[in-house]
Amino acid sequence: KPEVIDRDEDVVDIEKARELWRKSELETQDLAASLCEQLRLILEPTLSTKLKGDYKTGKRLNMKRIISYIASDFRKDKIWLRRTKPSKRQYQIMIAVDDSKSMSESKSVDLAFQSICLVSKALTQLESGGLSIVKFGEDTKVVHPFEKAFSAESGAKIFQKFDFQQTRTDIKKLVRESIDIFNNARTLGNADLWQLQIIISDGVCEDHATIQKLVRRAREEKIMLVFVIIDGINSDESIMDMSQVKYLPDANGNMVLKVDKYLDSFPFEFYVVVHDITELPKMLSLILRQYFSELASN
Amino acid sequence: MEDKSQIKIKFITREDNQDLHVDDKPLYVPISLKRYGLSEIVNHLLETEVPVPFDFLINGTLLTTSIEEYLKEQALSSEAFLTLEYTRSVLPPSYLASF
Ligand SMILES: [Mg+2]
Repeated sequence: KPEVIDRDEDVVDIEKARELWRKSELETQDLAASLCEQLRLILEPTLSTKLKGDYKTGKRLNMKRIISYIASDFRKDKIWLRRTKPSKRQYQIMIAVDDSKSMSESKSVDLAFQSICLVSKALTQLESGGLSIVKFGEDTKVVHPFEKAFSAESGAKIFQKFDFQQTRTDIKKLVRESIDIFNNARTLGNADLWQLQIIISDGVCEDHATIQKLVRRAREEKIMLVFVIIDGINSDESIMDMSQVKYLPDANGNMVLKVDKYLDSFPFEFYVVVHDITELPKMLSLILRQYFSELASN
Repeated sequence: MEDKSQIKIKFITREDNQDLHVDDKPLYVPISLKRYGLSEIVNHLLETEVPVPFDFLINGTLLTTSIEEYLKEQALSSEAFLTLEYTRSVLPPSYLASF
C-alpha cells in the first residue's frame, strides 16, 4: 500500500523545522523532565494495596466465604484474598495547537513551539499511551496521529505544518472534531482509557456560548479539555485585561451594549494563562491535579 | 446566519482633554460595527452623561465603513489587532446620521 504524503501541507522547510525542533528541545529539556515527573505522580494510579478475592490460594482468608466453604463440604474453596497489581492506566493525550494568524500578531509563536516540544517530550518519557498533535484555525487537521510513535523526527515534521497564517480561529470546529477523533481512537485503548486534550492558543475566539455546550459534551464523553492560554509576551497587552463588547436584549427587547471582562465568559472550565515557558509545567500539573481531585470527589 | 465574527481592537486618542481618554486595554468587538457603534462603545467606556460623537481613524485613514468592509479592502482578516484612533467628530449631526 503506497503511503500518501500530502506535501502541500508542509509549509516550512524540513531542515529549518529540524533546527527549530533542536532549539526548542534545548530550551525545554530540564522542564520536560520535571513535567514528566509531576505528570507521573498525577496520572499514574496509586498502587493498590487492596486485597481482592476469590482465589484458591492467597495471603489472607476471605471470611465471607468461610460459611459456604463449610456448607459446600469444602468444595467451594475459593476462600483466599490476594493483593492484586493494578493494571496500568492508559492515556490518549492530544495536543491541539492554534495555527491562526493572531498567534503571530500576539507574538505567541515561540512559546507555542516550546509548549509543543515540552509537552510531547514529557509525555513520551511518561510512556503513557498515545500522543496525537492537531493544528487548528479555519479547520482542524491531525498532524500526528495516536497510532504513530513519537520521535525527534516527528517533532520536526510537526513543526513543518505550522506557519500561523490561518485567517480564522474556529474553536467550535476544533472541539467538535476532536470529540470525533477521540471517539475513533477509543478502540485503540483498553477499558481504563483516559482521554485528555491540551489546547495551546492565544485564547481569542468567538461564540463562547456554543463552545461551552461542546465542552460540556466532551466532558460527558469523558474527554478532558485543558486550555493553555499563551499570553502575549513582548507586548504590553494581556488577555487578562481584555474586555468584550456584547449586545444583550433588555426587558423591552432593545439591544443594550455591555462590556465585560473577556475571560469571564471563557468557555473552558480548566484553563491556565502562561507568559513564559517555565510557568507551563507547574500550571499544567496544577490544573490536572484539580481535575483529577474533582473526578475523585464525584 | 448572522456573522458573529469579532476582532481585537484598542482605542487611542490624541485629544487634549484627559476626560476623553479611555485606557488602551484590548477590546473584543463585532466586526459589523461602524462609526456609530464604535462611538457608543467609547462613550460607554468614558461613562459620558451626554454622548460625544467621535470619528475613527485606522492608520491615519478615516473609517467610513464597517470594520468588516475595512478589513476586506485592506485584505486583512479578523485575526488582526487593530488600533483605532478616535477624535471628536467635526461633522455636523445631520451628516453623522447618514453613517
Ligand atoms: Mg486566532
